[in-house]
Amino acid sequence: MQDKSGNRHAMNKRLRNALKGLTAPDAERRRRAMEPFVRATFGSFIRCLYRYLGNEVECEDVLEDVYADIWENPQRLRDVTSENELLRTVYLYYMRKRLRQVYRRINRNLNLSQKGMMNLVAPELSALEMVSQMECHQVLRLMLSKLKARERRAIELWMEGMSNRSIANELKTTVGAVKMLEYRTILKLKKMLSEYYDKD
Amino acid sequence: MVEKNREIQELLVDYAGALRDGCIPTFLKSLTRDEAEMITTCREFQDSVEIVRVLNSVGFADNAVAPNVGLFISRVDAEISSRLKKARASSRGSYTTEAGPAHKTGKNAEKSI
Repeated sequence: MQDKSGNRHAMNKRLRNALKGLTAPDAERRRRAMEPFVRATFGSFIRCLYRYLGNEVECEDVLEDVYADIWENPQRLRDVTSENELLRTVYLYYMRKRLRQVYRRINRNLNLSQKGMMNLVAPELSALEMVSQMECHQVLRLMLSKLKARERRAIELWMEGMSNRSIANELKTTVGAVKMLEYRTILKLKKMLSEYYDKD
Repeated sequence: MVEKNREIQELLVDYAGALRDGCIPTFLKSLTRDEAEMITTCREFQDSVEIVRVLNSVGFADNAVAPNVGLFISRVDAEISSRLKKARASSRGSYTTEAGPAHKTGKNAEKSI
């Protein structure tokens, strides 16, 4: 979406109004504004969380806390002007804190390092991670078309939900070779995407 | 049984599988200390993880969007009311604790007189 000033991903009127209500000093008014705000943002927020957790139930639990945190302390959203900025701000100031808690809970009985491993669950934001879902689809389709047939097939089968053993059967190779193929292809995709965004 | 001392490519593929299947805790539990060290220090792993996340979101994130947002909104509302209650209770509690010591001091003062 684009507004008159050319701002990409500008907010629609409903979301703008909900945000205005959310940043009001009165707690009851903020509470009333929560419903339209959730309706307008639920899809994009849960997709964002799904990237890191990969589990719908966990995503909903975390998101419930995120919305309540926003209601309690909405100051960070006061100057937000576009949907992209909103998602970025919410991730940095609300979601990331909750994702860290998820990691701490998982790690309570494990002895993994706190800092390094936490980055796996609640990472810093890279340019790639803030690309919208629709743009992601388009760019990924483009990148996949540039891969060799075998590499593309391995990734496509993985994205269909197949296990490595099934992919190995399909490609008539070993599980070890499939893992190596996937790893190399992922690195190749990373390089291609970095070049694509650098060129942009 | 989980294989020990996995190579970095095996770790990445296992992480990708765990993220896809929604079982990151199982993946973390499966890590040995050396493997965890390798993950945190390997630049290639960190780079690849970004792509794995993108693949995961493109392939599966749409499944996560619950059909009944209304039900989710009522959960959020319940969480907000519980926080409101807690805030009210704690403000009442702090009022009584503030009053408490003053009352005691008064008593002590009375005794000393």
